[in-house]
Order: sequence, then C-alpha cells, then structure tokens
Amino acid sequence: MRTRHPHRAPPDVRFSEPGSPLLAVENLEVRYGGIRALKGISLHVCRGEVVALIGSNGAGKTTTLRTLVRLVQPAAGTLRYAGEELTTIGTEQVIERGVSLVPEGRAIFPNLTVRENLELGAFLHRDKTTIAESLHDVEQLFPRLGERMAQEGGTLSGGEQQMLAIGRAMMGRPSLLLLDEPSLGIAPKLARQIFEAIRAIAAAGVTVLVVEQNTRLALEVASRGYVLRTGEIAREGSSKELLADPMVREAYLGA
Amino acid sequence: MRRVPAVVLFAIGALTCVGLDLAYDGLVSWDRGSKFWLHILVVCAINVLGATSLNVVNGMAGQFSIGHAGFVGIGAYLGGAIVSNLALALKIPVAALKDNLSLGQSFLLLPVALVVVGLVCAAIGFVVGLPSLRLRGDYLAIVTLGFSEIVRLTVLGISADSATNPLTRAIASLGGSLGYRGPKVGEDYLGVPSVAGPFWTVGIAALAVFLALRLKRSGFGRALRAVREDEIAAAAVGVDPAKYKVTAFVLAAAGAGVAGALLAVQRDGPGIVGPANMKFDKSFEVITMVILGGSGSVSGAAIGAVLYTVIFYASEEALHQLAQAVPAFGSVDAAALRMTLFATALIVVMLVRTQGLFGERELFEKKADDGTPKPPSPSSDDATGTAKEALAS
Ligand SMILES: Nc1ncnc2c1ncn2[C@@H]1O[C@H](COP(=O)(O)OP(=O)(O)O)[C@@H](O)[C@H]1O
Ligand SMILES: [Mg+2]
Repeated sequence: MRTRHPHRAPPDVRFSEPGSPLLAVENLEVRYGGIRALKGISLHVCRGEVVALIGSNGAGKTTTLRTLVRLVQPAAGTLRYAGEELTTIGTEQVIERGVSLVPEGRAIFPNLTVRENLELGAFLHRDKTTIAESLHDVEQLFPRLGERMAQEGGTLSGGEQQMLAIGRAMMGRPSLLLLDEPSLGIAPKLARQIFEAIRAIAAAGVTVLVVEQNTRLALEVASRGYVLRTGEIAREGSSKELLADPMVREAYLGA
Repeated sequence: MRRVPAVVLFAIGALTCVGLDLAYDGLVSWDRGSKFWLHILVVCAINVLGATSLNVVNGMAGQFSIGHAGFVGIGAYLGGAIVSNLALALKIPVAALKDNLSLGQSFLLLPVALVVVGLVCAAIGFVVGLPSLRLRGDYLAIVTLGFSEIVRLTVLGISADSATNPLTRAIASLGGSLGYRGPKVGEDYLGVPSVAGPFWTVGIAALAVFLALRLKRSGFGRALRAVREDEIAAAAVGVDPAKYKVTAFVLAAAGAGVAGALLAVQRDGPGIVGPANMKFDKSFEVITMVILGGSGSVSGAAIGAVLYTVIFYASEEALHQLAQAVPAFGSVDAAALRMTLFATALIVVMLVRTQGLFGERELFEKKADDGTPKPPSPSSDDATGTAKEALAS
C-alpha cells in the first residue's frame, strides 16, 4: 500500500521502530459528569501489531477510542502516539498524524454516495493523485464498494456499510487504525470477511487497535488483547493466553 | 467541452439584469397593468434569495432553523433605515423618493446598505448559531424561533414614550407596530425609498444560486452534508462539526439579511417596513419553499421559491376575481386560505414525496444509483479475495 509517491506515505513514524510502541496510553481516566467511564487504564500498541480491546456493553471501549481521537476529553492520564502527546492537540491534528477511527455502528453518511463517503475519508488530504490512489486501494480491498460507487451509502447492506466505514477510514492513509465493533449487527459470514480485510490491512503495515464484543473473532486476528471491565483493564496478554484464561472463557466466550 | 469563463457569464448576467431593469420601467409606463406581474418577478427573486440561504443551514447542514424571518426582519429594518437616511443625506429630493428611484440612483444607495446588512446579519447569525453546538433537532429549532420572536417583540414593545436611552430611542424610531417609515422630516416621514428593481433583486438572487451551487459542490459543502448525516463520523474524518454548523448559520443569516433589505426597498414596494416581516408565518413560508423544492437542493429551493410566490399571487388574484363574480367569496380571508393551501401541499409532499420535488439533487443532475440489485460480479462473493494481493504490493 505504501508506494514511492511522495504524498502517499502515511505520516512520519520513523522514530518508532517496528515493535516499539506506536501508541501508549497511561492511567487514562474519563468522566461523564459524575460517572467514571474509564478508571485509569493503561495500554499500548506496538507498531505493526493488531491488538484487541474486548469487553461487554458499557465497559468503556467506545470511550477509549473516542478519547484517542480527541472527541472526548480525558480527566487524567497521557496518550502518546509516535512519541507525541495527543492530549495537547485537536481531533484534526490527530487525524493528520495518521490515526483513523471507524466509529461504532456503521456511522456512514447515508444520503451521500459511496464515492462521496470515501472521498470524505480523505478530507484532510489535498493532493488529488494521493486521493485517487487511495480510492483505488480501497476498491481493491473491497471490490463490492467499487461496484457501488454511485449508490447512496444508506442503500448498502449492513456488511457493505461496515466495509464503507472501514474504506473511508483507510482513505485517510492511517498508520494507526482504530475500529469500534466492526462486527456489530453483521451476519457471521460477512463479519468474517471484514476481519479478513482487517488482517489484510495489518499485513500492509497498518497498526490496528480493534474493539470487539465478538471475542473469539477478535482474538483470532489480534496477536494481543486487553479485557476491559467497567472502566478497568481486567486482563491482558497474548491472544493465546486470553483464549485459555478461565475468566475470559466464562465471561466472553460462553464456554 | 470548453467551459465558458466565469467573467463572461458574469458580464452576460449583469447585462441581462440591466436589461430586465430597463424593461421593467418601459413595460410599466407602456401598460400599467403589467406592474402586477413584473412586481411578482421582483418578489420571486427576493424569495429565491431567502430560500437558497435557508437551504444552506436547513438543507445542507441539517440544522433545523425556524427563525429565518428574524434575520430577514433585521435586514429589512436595517436596510430600510440605511437607504432612507442615505437618500436624505445625499439630498435626493423627497418628492422623488415617493416614486421609484432610477437604476443610477440605486447605485448610490444600495451597495453600502447591502454590504452593511450582510455583515451585521452574518455576525448575528454567528451568535444564533452558537447554540447549535450544544442543541440539536427540536431544541435548536426552538432557540431559532425564540430569536426571531425576541427581535419582533423588541421592535413592537418599545414605543417613543417608553424610550429613555439612546438604544431604546433608536428602537422606538423603527415605528413599533406602525412600521418603519423612514426618517422624520418636519411633521412627515420620508418613507422607505423604492430602489431595488430587477437589476438588484434578480441579479443578487442569481448570484446567490450560483454561489450556493459552488458551495454545495466544494469540499465545504460536502463537509456540511457530512455533518448533517452523522456528526461523530464527520468528526472522525477531520470535519469539525462546530465550525461548519456555525458557518452555515452565518451564511444563511447574511443571505436572509440581504433578502430582507431588498424586500424593504424593492421597486414599487410599500415604502414601509413592518414587524410582520418577522412573524413565524414568514419563517414557515421559507421552510415551505425549501421543503417543496427538496431540502438540500439549491435549484430545488429556487424553484420552490418561484412556485410558492407565483401560487401565492395567483391565488390572491383568482380569489379577487372570484369575489367580483360571486360576492359571497368577498368574505374569504386570502391569507388564511393560502396558509391552508400550503399546509395541505406540505402534508401531501410529506406523504407522497418526502424528499420534495428534487430531493437533494440539482436540476439536470443525474439521479444517484438507487441500489437495485445488479447481477453480481464474480468478485463480490469474496469481498476480500484480492485484498491481500492488492495490499501486499
Ligand atoms: N456521552 C455520554 N454521556 C454519559 N455517559 C456516557 C456517554 N457515553 C458513554 N457513557 C457511559 O460510559 C460508560 C462506557 O460507555 P462506552 O464507552 O460506550 O462503552 P462500550 O463501548 O464498551 O459499550 C457506560 O456506562 C456509558 O453509559
Ligand atoms: Mg461501544
């Protein structure tokens, strides 16, 4: 996905060597009024990794991702991305630095065409060639979208809408892709396809942090994971460890 | 295909408007009966401006404003006051003011007035747009309605007797329920001059439609529509919803203000600016135009405005004719009849064609693919089949 085109390379993350943390969250605390949605969580994602953040409804997964892209203000804690503190900059700058969020619940633009939806993903990009090439890459990733460019986003099936949301995020040429429950409300077969696409995105060198309730699916693709329970990290470890953990098995795998 | 340069288009447009302006005077002096219809042209143009500006905030940005008349009203009073005082300062003879002023004279009075009105209303639009950052839907609508009512009741509520300081005296000079009739000269009011003929009204309306189309097709317009569809998703791609919502209010308010000013000083106008310009009915009228034409569509808003205006006057004229033939119809309240007519039309639109005449499309624009199933292509069964190869390269 990375080519020699000068404008195509994602933002500079040179100083974070493969395997070193691209994202490091320390003691992150978020409050909604009196409610402590995140009670000081710490997690990190290394460059090139796929990391899963699992947990049931209301655990604080969405809050975590929204805080990372500065849509929610943290009450305390630090967010370091590629060596830079994110709490001091705005959403726009975070995106410009190469972080893309696929929001929860197929948040596409239903009355805009697929093409318009995708082009909006490159809203902060100015270079036409780059945008055209990103569009081409997304069409390769999701051929279904390529066939439906002129169709309104709202007329797509649920799975296709999720592909559109991911495609839109990829139009920003991210270094770090944040996905919020990509399998939510989607037929199992399509969910599997979507996770295949996530695997392909990761294989191309994009670092991925994926939030899921579908623990099995997420841990199949991720190499590591965190379990979030009512605003706290309850477990962390490799996917293998988590899949074998009795607590995880009972609470999240229904075994 | 070679595109006509904007300058050429602009020049042709300007000349057409000058031609229209001269034709207006010519036709009226030739046949006084034509005045009725020519005047409709002027009102159509002003309504096109009002509707295209409301469409920016309601249609494109999806922030439901029902207080558009507040901005129109401020523009009308401010524009009327600037033009009449300027006319007085420039010593344009009072007798002439009772008639239509010439196109040449209008150039002395209108540019300043329109620019000031546009800027002032833009600033007020900024303030009224701020609540959109915290409120949405019906709550925001109520704030905008509150705004227009505050403006109207302020003008109505302060009379010359109760005015004690410069601010209240200035508001009292707007004439309260009697309306603003220009500055007082001796015992008489000067009246608000009739200066804006087709050159200004049609010209500015055409310019507004042109700019609104450009806006819609620009990255800015796309960002506005994204905010309308989903604020979180918009923010996630780097569109700051706050910035775009407030800017939409600013643009809409400036357009509404200019429409109001033109309304106040239109050719063959009433010579008076009344507080009725700011009533909710007026906001409702503009909303009707936008919804009839198709929320989000610039040409839809413009055509909605023209249709509304023509039906408005035609129904009035028809009722008038009918009343002369059948005296019993003389007691029918034209305004009430019209309200019923348009309310019914809106209900029908909502039931039969929610998206209005055009939906979000523009005139001569191809319809978006409606998503009816197409024969599946070989690749669609395995959506990510080629993904790895594509990405690994
Ligand atoms: N905007 C909000 N205002 C108030 N409380 C919120 C808001 N968003 C989330 N919460 C609360 O914060 C907690 C975490 O929510 P969320 O991050 O959405 O969890 P998850 O994504 O894991 O389901 C929940 O208790 C939820 O009710
Ligand atoms: Mg969630």
